[in-house]
Amino acid sequence: MGRPPGAALSLPIASRPRATLRCTRRNEPVTARQGGTLSPTAAETNVGAGNWKGLGMWAWMLFRVAGVVLVLYLFAHIGVISTARVAGHSTLNSAFTLFDHPLFVLLDLLLVWAVLFHALNGVRILLMDLGLGIERHKAVFWGCMGVAVVSLGFFAVKAFAYIAAHHGGGLV
Amino acid sequence: MSVDTVAPEEQAASSVPTAQRPPSPARLDRAVLDRGAGGVWAWLFQRVTAVFLLYGMAVHLISTHILAIGKLDFGNIADRLGSNFFVVTDVLLLAAVLYHALNGARMVVLDYWLAGRTGRLTLTVALWIFGLATFAYGLWALWPWITQQGRP
Repeated sequence: MGRPPGAALSLPIASRPRATLRCTRRNEPVTARQGGTLSPTAAETNVGAGNWKGLGMWAWMLFRVAGVVLVLYLFAHIGVISTARVAGHSTLNSAFTLFDHPLFVLLDLLLVWAVLFHALNGVRILLMDLGLGIERHKAVFWGCMGVAVVSLGFFAVKAFAYIAAHHGGGLV
Repeated sequence: MSVDTVAPEEQAASSVPTAQRPPSPARLDRAVLDRGAGGVWAWLFQRVTAVFLLYGMAVHLISTHILAIGKLDFGNIADRLGSNFFVVTDVLLLAAVLYHALNGARMVVLDYWLAGRTGRLTLTVALWIFGLATFAYGLWALWPWITQQGRP
């Protein structure tokens, strides 16, 4: 923790010089801006994650909420699965009987949604940190969300087919 | 992005080369606030574990919730853990996911509370103890399959 402030910066801000490319007014002569203040439009400064602006703000917030949910689930998951050794096979199997209920299958699907959104938004953050696709960050965002939605659709088809086959399609 | 950000045109116009110019204090502060508060190694490991989790979570979710859908019980899991591939993946997944989850929780906490150095250090040490204890507990639960001896 006794690190000088500058020492922490080499990796984290590696992508910043490229990010500044968006912070310029188009079609404006360079000479007109010398000595003046830089006042980029709102759209031009909405670069990368962590800005409290528009879509990036919602992506960041959902990423964080999903992350917290997944942390809580992780420890519940470890607790349930480890009953196999703590309390024996039958305890774990009775837990699985409970989780076979359609409501739990739907909750599982919500969990898969949280995993996929967190994972694919995380891929976007990794790409931005590497400086890849910053100029097309919105396309990268929607590309990642597309992959997440398609994957979620795959899990959803499986889940609903399972509920229909084993529970008559009703939430009973 | 605040007004002290140096645009490329201004960099080119200046007589001092960019590489030799020290960053402004405001820029340093902002960079530290943005990403440096948790430490640069934590920042790096969060990304290293993230890349591993992309693989580990794919294996975990596909094997349990796609391939074994409807068949999930003790016997099914015990059989799967009979293969070294799943034992190694699961142990690495446990370590990676614990680091990623607890460091993520730490970053959330540091964004709102414990700005001081002592509080931050206490949180970090407490989370390391908790994480290592959970990892040890997970290893104990998996031990019959790690050794492949006396497993049910």
